[in-house]
Amino acid sequence: MSLPTSRHSHTQYSNGYSNGYSGGYKNGHASYYKDESWAMSPQDSKYHPKFRKSAYARRRLFLKLGFVFLVVFGFSLLVSPSLRFTVFSAIGLGYSLYKDIPGVEYHDLSLYKGSATGWQRGERILFLSPLRDAEAHLPMFFSHLRNLTYPHHLIDLAFLVSDSKDNTMNLLTDLLKKQQSDADHNQWFGEITVIEKDFGAAIGQDFSNRHGFAAQGPRRKLMARARNWLLNATLKPHHSWVYWRDADVETAPTSILEDLMRHNKDVIVPNVWRPLPDWLGNEQPYDLNSWQESETGLELAAKLGEDDVIVEGYAEYATWRPHLAYLRDPRGDPDVEMELDGVGGVSILAKASVFRAGAHFPAFSFEKHAETEGFGKMCRRMKFTVIGLPHYTIWHLYEPSSDDLKHMKEMEEQRIAHEKEEKEKAEQKTRLEEGWDIKKDKDTWDKDQKEIIDAALKAKEVEKGAMASKGTGKDSGKTPDQDLRGSREGPIAHVDEPGVGVLTTEDEEKKGQIVGHENGRVKQNKLPVEPTKQESQFA
Amino acid sequence: MGTRLQRSSPFRLLFALLGLLLFLWWMIQPSSHSPRTLNINLPDSSPPTPTAALTPPKTAPGINVISMNNLTATANPLKNSERLLILTPLARFYDEYFDNLLKLNYPRNLIDLGFITPKTHAGNIATLKLQDALRKVQHGPKKSRFNKITILRQDFGTPTGQSEKERHAMKAQKDRRASMARARNSLVFTTLNPTISWVLWLDSDIIESPPSLFQDLAKHNKQVIVPNCFQRYKENGVWKERPYDFNSWQDSETALNLGKTMKDDEILLEGYAEMPTYRALMAYQRDEKADKHVEMLLDGVGGTALLVKASIHRDGAMFPTFPFYHLIETEGFAKMVRRLGHQPYGLPNYLVYHYNE
Repeated sequence: MSLPTSRHSHTQYSNGYSNGYSGGYKNGHASYYKDESWAMSPQDSKYHPKFRKSAYARRRLFLKLGFVFLVVFGFSLLVSPSLRFTVFSAIGLGYSLYKDIPGVEYHDLSLYKGSATGWQRGERILFLSPLRDAEAHLPMFFSHLRNLTYPHHLIDLAFLVSDSKDNTMNLLTDLLKKQQSDADHNQWFGEITVIEKDFGAAIGQDFSNRHGFAAQGPRRKLMARARNWLLNATLKPHHSWVYWRDADVETAPTSILEDLMRHNKDVIVPNVWRPLPDWLGNEQPYDLNSWQESETGLELAAKLGEDDVIVEGYAEYATWRPHLAYLRDPRGDPDVEMELDGVGGVSILAKASVFRAGAHFPAFSFEKHAETEGFGKMCRRMKFTVIGLPHYTIWHLYEPSSDDLKHMKEMEEQRIAHEKEEKEKAEQKTRLEEGWDIKKDKDTWDKDQKEIIDAALKAKEVEKGAMASKGTGKDSGKTPDQDLRGSREGPIAHVDEPGVGVLTTEDEEKKGQIVGHENGRVKQNKLPVEPTKQESQFA
Repeated sequence: MGTRLQRSSPFRLLFALLGLLLFLWWMIQPSSHSPRTLNINLPDSSPPTPTAALTPPKTAPGINVISMNNLTATANPLKNSERLLILTPLARFYDEYFDNLLKLNYPRNLIDLGFITPKTHAGNIATLKLQDALRKVQHGPKKSRFNKITILRQDFGTPTGQSEKERHAMKAQKDRRASMARARNSLVFTTLNPTISWVLWLDSDIIESPPSLFQDLAKHNKQVIVPNCFQRYKENGVWKERPYDFNSWQDSETALNLGKTMKDDEILLEGYAEMPTYRALMAYQRDEKADKHVEMLLDGVGGTALLVKASIHRDGAMFPTFPFYHLIETEGFAKMVRRLGHQPYGLPNYLVYHYNE
C-alpha cells in the first residue's frame, strides 16, 4: 500500500468521524491537517473501507505494542535492580563515584540485598564450608559442587580448614585446581578462598565423640568460632547471599540454591535426614537443631545458668519443641514453610544482609544456645524471618556410631556363622546323596527296622500289663491315657514314663497311635485318640 | 478512547514509538560503554558490561590459600608489619577529621580504610566530600597512599534528625543507636579481610588525636581498649575542654538492678537524668597530672575511638542492634566481648577530641 494514500484517506475519515461524534477541539484538530499540510485531490476523498480496516488494525497493533513495551519496561524497572541501577545512574547521583581513584572500592549495599531470582540478576552467593578431617568426604562434596545448577561464576567458594590431621588441605587444593581448569567454562566458580586456622580442638571428630552430650557445649562454641572466622574473612560487600553447607551431605537436589532462594526469606533451611541400614529402620531424622521454641524450652532456659547451653536432641534436656525433622512427610509439598527459632547448620541459605547486620554464630551462650541454634535465636531477636522446609529433604551421610559398629560386627559374625552352617548342611546333603547307594541299602534297612519294632512292641506289652495292675487303685477313674493327653498348658512330655520315647514307624502314626512329638522324641499311645471336650475347648 | 485512537495517524504513532525508543536508549546507553555493572567486584578482569555478572568469565578465577595461624596482634605492631583497618561510620564529613586521619603516623601501606554512609542527602554530600579528599591522597606519591579503601552505602534507612538535640533525645536514642550498630556491623563484617590484625574504630567527628594513636593504644596489648573522649569549647573567649563520651563505664549495682527490673526489649542509657545508673564513668576519671597510660577495667565502651584486635570481631563480637543485656551498640559490644571471655580496658588520661557542633 502507498503511504500518501493512507495518510490522506485517514485524515478524511477521521475528520468525518469526529464530526459525527465529538466536539470542537477534535474537529479543529483534524481540520488542522486538512488546511495546513495535507494536499488533497478529489479522488482521494473516496471512502476506502478495505484500507481503513487494515490501517485501523495496524494502528491498534502499534498502540498495543507500545503499551506492552511500556508495561514490561516499567515492571522490569520495578523488579530488576540492574536495570534500575542503569536507569538511576543515568539520571540520579553519579554512580561513577570513586571510579578514578586507585585502591578504592565503592559499593551500594542496597544493590546486594538479595531477591527471589538471584540467578537471573547476577546475585553472588558466598558458599561456605568449614572442614575438619574431611578428606574422605571431599570427592563426594565436589561432585555436589559440580552439579549445582546455580551459575557457577556467581558462586564464591570459601573453606576453612582447621585442626585437620589428614590430607584435607592438599586434596582440597588439588580438587579446586582441577575444578578451575575444567574444559567447560561453566564449571568455573567465582573467587575461591581457602583459610587455614587451627583452634586447637580438644574434642575428636568421630561420631560418638562429637555427639556425646557432655562434649556438645564446648564443641558447639568452638564450631561457632570457626564459622565466624570463615564468614568474617570472606564476606564481601558484593555478596547478596550466604550459603552454609557441610561437606558430609550425601544427597541433595542440584537446584537447592534456587529452591531455597525462591522463598526469598532471610534465613532458610531444608529438612535434614539420613539414610540408615535396614536393621535400623532405613532412615532417620538427622538434624535436630531446627526447631520451634516451646514453653518447656523457655522454662528450662530460665532455670539454667548464664553459660549453660541447651543442646537439642538429648534426653538430658527434654524441651518438647516441635522439630522440623519430625514433621517431614515424604509426599508433602516441598514448598511448605515453617517458622523456626533454632536452625541446624548442615545447609543454611541466608541473605548476606543478615550477616552484615551483625547476626553470627554465638560462641557464647546466647539465650542458652550456641552456634547455629544461637544464630537462629539471634536472627529472631533481630526480627529476621527464619524458615524451615519440612518436606524438602536433603540427606546427610550415615556414619555408624561405635555402638552401631559393634552391632554391625556382631551381625557380620552371625552372618558368617550362618553361611558356614548352611555350607556344611549343603555339603552333608551332597555327601549323603552321593555317598550312599540308597536302593541297595534299603532292604537291610527295612529288615532292621522291622526287627526293632517287633522287639519294642513286645517289651511294651509286658510293661503295660504290669502298669495296669499298679495304677487301678490310685487314679480314681482316670485312665493313664488321659494323663498323657496334655492340658491347657500344652502337651505333656512324659519322657520318663513307660511307653514314651519309643521310635515308631509311619504305619503306627497313621493308626493314630502317636499322640505328639516333643523335644524330638515321640510320645506314643497305643489307643486311638479321640479329642475330648476339654481339648477341643482349647484347640 | 476509541475515537482518539482512530484519530492519530500511523506516522504520529511511529514518531512516538521512535521517541520512546530513543529515550530508552538514552537511559540505558551510558552503561553500555562505561565500566558500570551490578557487581563491581567481578573476579573477572575483562571489561564488564551490564550483563557481565550473568555470563561466565573468560579466565578461571584463581585460588587464594591464606593461613591465619601466623596472624599476630602484638604490642609492637610495626615490628611484625601488622595490618590495621580503620573504620568510620560517616554521617558527616569534617575536614578536620580527615586531616587528623592523615596525621596518623602508622605506615599507610599497612592501613585499610572503611567508610559507610547513609543513603540520605547528608550521606550523599559526605560521600562526595570524601571522594574529593581521597582523590587527593590516592593520586599522591605511592608511599602516602592507603593500601585499600572501601566505601559502602547503607542498605537500610537511618532515623532522621541528626542535630545535637534530636540525636540525644532519650526516646530517639534506641533507634538511632540500633541503626548505628547496624552500620558498624555492615562495615566491619564486609571489610575485615583475613590479613588484618587490628581494627580501629574512629568516629567521623573525632577531629584531634595524638598522631601515634594506634601505636599508643596497641602498646597496651589489650583485646579491646578505648581512650577518653573529650570536647574542646570556647567559654568567654577561653578554650576549655569537657568530657564528651559517656559510654565508657564500669557497671554499678544500681544499673544492674535496674536492668533486672526491665523488660527484654528495653535499654539502659547513660547520661540521662531520668535514669540515674551511678556507673563509674571513665569520662570523669581523668587526672591531668597522672600518667597517660593508666588503665582501667571497663564494662561498657564508647565507639568514638576504639581499638579492637581483629580476632575479637572474628570470634563474633559485634555491635548488638537489639538490647543485649539491656545494652545496645558499643555498650552491648563490650558486654559481648565479656561474654566471649575477654576484658575491655580504658585509658582515662589518654584523650581524643570530639567535634563541637
